Amino acid sequence: MVNTDKEYNKLLLEIKELKSQVSEANEIIDAIRRGEVDAFIVKNEDDHEIYTLKSADKTFRIFIEKMSEGAITINRDGIILYCNSSFAHLINIPLSKVIGCPLSQFIPDVYKDFVANLLEKAWNEEECKAEIIFRGEKNLPIPVLLSASTLEIDGGLSLSILITDLSIQKKSEEQLLQKNKELEDAQLVTKSLNDGLERTVKERTEALVKEQKRAMEKKDEFITIASHELKTPVTSIKGYIQVLRFNFEKDGNAMAAQVLGKVDTQINKLTTLISDLLDVKKIETGKLNYREEVFDYNELVKEVIEETGRVLTKHTVKHQLDETVLIYGDRNKIGQVITNFIDNAGKYSPQNTDIIIETFKEGNKVKLAVSDSGIGIPKSQQHMIFDRFYRVSGAKENTYSGLGLGLYISFEIIKRHQGNIGVESEEGKGSTFYFELPISNSLSHE
Amino acid sequence: MNNAQKKIFVADDDADILEVIEMILKTDGYTVDVTKNAKEIFTQVQENLPDLILLDIWMSGVDGREICEQLKKNELTKNIPVLFISANSNIVDITNEYSADGYVRKPFDMAALLKKVKDIINRN
Repeated sequence: MVNTDKEYNKLLLEIKELKSQVSEANEIIDAIRRGEVDAFIVKNEDDHEIYTLKSADKTFRIFIEKMSEGAITINRDGIILYCNSSFAHLINIPLSKVIGCPLSQFIPDVYKDFVANLLEKAWNEEECKAEIIFRGEKNLPIPVLLSASTLEIDGGLSLSILITDLSIQKKSEEQLLQKNKELEDAQLVTKSLNDGLERTVKERTEALVKEQKRAMEKKDEFITIASHELKTPVTSIKGYIQVLRFNFEKDGNAMAAQVLGKVDTQINKLTTLISDLLDVKKIETGKLNYREEVFDYNELVKEVIEETGRVLTKHTVKHQLDETVLIYGDRNKIGQVITNFIDNAGKYSPQNTDIIIETFKEGNKVKLAVSDSGIGIPKSQQHMIFDRFYRVSGAKENTYSGLGLGLYISFEIIKRHQGNIGVESEEGKGSTFYFELPISNSLSHE
Repeated sequence: MNNAQKKIFVADDDADILEVIEMILKTDGYTVDVTKNAKEIFTQVQENLPDLILLDIWMSGVDGREICEQLKKNELTKNIPVLFISANSNIVDITNEYSADGYVRKPFDMAALLKKVKDIINRN
């Protein structure tokens, strides 16, 4: 009996102990349910293991709740199992009226089929992203990005859908597009203005060039006409005089022939004056043509000396030429410069004096000098003598003929041939006019 | 063959120059044909082929360069030497460009003109 009582009491104690353990376990479960347990510490054979409960779940719940994107999960029938407040706010419907309803209820009619197909893809684990437009507060359109993927919860499959509001992004894009368009429009306007400006500049330039060309042509035309008109009568006068002179000589009338010879000389002077005037006009308009070739220098110098010597009968023309060289240039125009120097020497020096023509080969240059024993040029005037229209000034200024163009033309011709021109003179004793030209190294000129 | 058998044709629109050239050429005994009307040159030259043609470049409305070009293209006249006679400052270039046989600048020297004519006539 005693034993029976003892056994009974033992069992009672065990029951009490077990009840206490069950109660404690129930309290823990309740605490877990109430979210009051953060973690378990479980003692193993040789270690402790910590199992957290509250922090992981709560953190993710809060994260999902607070995020600005809408988040929903639906089951296979399209019923919304969970929805965060962002989505409810987006479609402007209270949260309580969203959960448990079919998602299609909140999709605008135009997108219903599209979204259904889209979600079907997501259920099939295919990539699923698309932009649609929801209707929000006051039925205003809200562009969103839907992005869905399957989610396994409690052994069952559901679909999680993230809804990102693209309003700001779209607005920025629109603004960017608008700005781009404005920029393009502005560029078009700029281009059109530039084109217009270019066209105007081109037209104006063309008109100006045409006008200048016309003016140049007029000047050219004037030079050509003047040359023709002035030289035509001189040609016939000179021709008649020479025929007459020929006939007088043939008939033995020396006096008449001599007079006509003088007339002929004057006509030559007139011809030179006409040519000089036209040359100056051509230099001014840049139309003095040069016919360049390689030629034997001494041959030209001798030719000129012979021609001028025939006219300068009252002077003794002497020459001393260095070895000949080749020159690349306009033979006629260089001859014109030598003629001008010799003519001037004759004009400004007394009769029966010598005119000396010399050439000197100096390095890669050749110098030609024409010296006279004439009136000379004062030092103060020497720098002006190659100026256009310069003439001897002073007491004797009206006793010498000429327009003062010869030395100016000579200066231009020598300058054009990369040469130097100058004078050494002493008043009352005479002058030496000289010019230097570069020597050409070969018969053919590159 | 003396100069009388040598015939020179001269074309210039200035009557005085034409006359004076004729007088000058005749001092050396040449036979001279002249024309003031450049358009008649072809008819005259082809009717009576000369040994030399003296051609002015600028003849009221007619361009001596073109006439030279045509003369040089024509089978009958292409071998007749042509001397340009002109005050044109580009006469050297024009002579080369239009394949003329020489040139004489106006105003010309009688002796120089006769020498040039003689040289060309003898050359041919």
